[in-house]
Amino acid sequence: AATLKPYLNAVRSSLTAAMCLQNFSSQVIERHNKPEIEVRSSKELLLTPIIISRNEKEKVLIESSVNSIRVSIAVKQADEIEKILCHKFMRFMMLRAENFIILRRTPIQDYDISFLITNFHTEMMLKHKLVDFVIHLLEDTHIDANHFSEINEQFMEDIDKEISEMKLAVNARARICAEEFLKTVN
Amino acid sequence: TNLFWLLYADLAFSFETKMPEVCHTVTSPVVCCAFNSDKSQLALCPNNEEVHIYGKKGMAWNLLEVLKEHTEIVNGIDWAAKSDQIVTCSADRNAYVWKRDGKKWKPTLVLLRMNRAATCVKWSPNENKFAVGCGAKLVSICYFEKENDWWVSKHIKKQINSTVLAIDWHPNNILIATGSCDFRCRIFSAYIKEIEAKPAPTTWGSKMNFGACMHEFSNSGGGWVHSVSFSFDGNKVAWVGHDSSISVVDSESNCKMLTIKSRYLPFASCSWISPSSIVTVGHDCIPYLFKIDASGNLVFQEVLDKKEKKEAGNAFRGVSIHRGSKQDCGSFCTFGMDGKIINWDIKTLEQSISGLKIA
Repeated sequence: AATLKPYLNAVRSSLTAAMCLQNFSSQVIERHNKPEIEVRSSKELLLTPIIISRNEKEKVLIESSVNSIRVSIAVKQADEIEKILCHKFMRFMMLRAENFIILRRTPIQDYDISFLITNFHTEMMLKHKLVDFVIHLLEDTHIDANHFSEINEQFMEDIDKEISEMKLAVNARARICAEEFLKTVN
Repeated sequence: TNLFWLLYADLAFSFETKMPEVCHTVTSPVVCCAFNSDKSQLALCPNNEEVHIYGKKGMAWNLLEVLKEHTEIVNGIDWAAKSDQIVTCSADRNAYVWKRDGKKWKPTLVLLRMNRAATCVKWSPNENKFAVGCGAKLVSICYFEKENDWWVSKHIKKQINSTVLAIDWHPNNILIATGSCDFRCRIFSAYIKEIEAKPAPTTWGSKMNFGACMHEFSNSGGGWVHSVSFSFDGNKVAWVGHDSSISVVDSESNCKMLTIKSRYLPFASCSWISPSSIVTVGHDCIPYLFKIDASGNLVFQEVLDKKEKKEAGNAFRGVSIHRGSKQDCGSFCTFGMDGKIINWDIKTLEQSISGLKIA
């Protein structure tokens, strides 16, 4: 839709600015080095959070600090099916948060999925690639009516194909079993 | 024809070496680095608890030694030009002064008396003291005590409300400028009566007891102050903040503050390269040039890397004078998250960017 491009551009430039992180040792506990956005021990190290809304239901919350940033996404869920799909999809990813490296195991209150990106991530990965990843996720989870029926059709097609293949496989095995059995009997 | 090609090859080679010369590349981010006085050796921290010493042989840099004394990331390295001593400080709350011992470097422990990470370190101009910034919201000024053969420290704590991120010394060896996470740039006295004579009055004030806060500056709101730099004569101080700003205070104009809030990503480091020009580097992978113009205003002058493919691949961590001085810089050196140490020659920059004159 017309509002998608400006929404994604606004998120992209806000993320690029908020992701200017650096290594920072804790100033409250010696020898600690923790993401300040999670620990929140010193208020001066936290930046003002910003919310970029496409509409009431779809928004992105960006909370940044000196060495870490939290990005939370609220995805549009117009009806029950979308709610379930979204919940399943997000849960699938969050259960495997370690593999995604920058994913947070639980989302922030009022949001569906959250990322925690620290200076260690921006040191080992390219910053603009991290931003691209988040933007792509926004695009992918953007379910609108047209898109949903496409996904649904594709899904039904795939299911039908799998069921047909399973039927064929079962028949093939049955035939082979019968042949072998008849060989021994004959 | 053979002679012609030989000549051409020779010219091509010498031209190549004058371009922003990539001195050296390591495979990890360079957190901090320092050159010795004749720029033939380099000490850097490759984002871990080690300090790597490299030596220049022809056009290549060879790893000479790995100094392994710190137990956490090394946040600051400074190489004293005259006394040839290296000081390193780390998140492990320690600092060491390294002296040459034949071909190796030997460390001396410094009693910093800090209970939080050390963030930055700088030798004083006369190299008889060094200042260490700390996450314990203080600055430790260290000097050598001959009787006991160790480095002892005095703490500057007044008014500092958050981690100190940056320090720079005034040329009079007494005053320091600090930048910290409480959005302020401050000027303190680091006068150690045990080792030096009473200082003469300066444009920043005349009463310089140890630890006295001479001035405190904020550019209203501001951001964490990532870097501070005194001008060559010490009369002006410049700092850069996380709000993508650059600010300059001139002590000879009644401490009037000049600020630019730029539209670029935040700057991480800055340095004066002439009496009126400042180069800044940061999260955009390009150095920027600001200057104080004839009417005394701080203005943005130029983007110093206009090529399609930028020299730097990732954010810069620091910039320092390489050849020359803050008064008359011949080249400056940058290092950053892409692991590259790049030497930017002033004359070459002026030739490659039309209309640029760094005065």
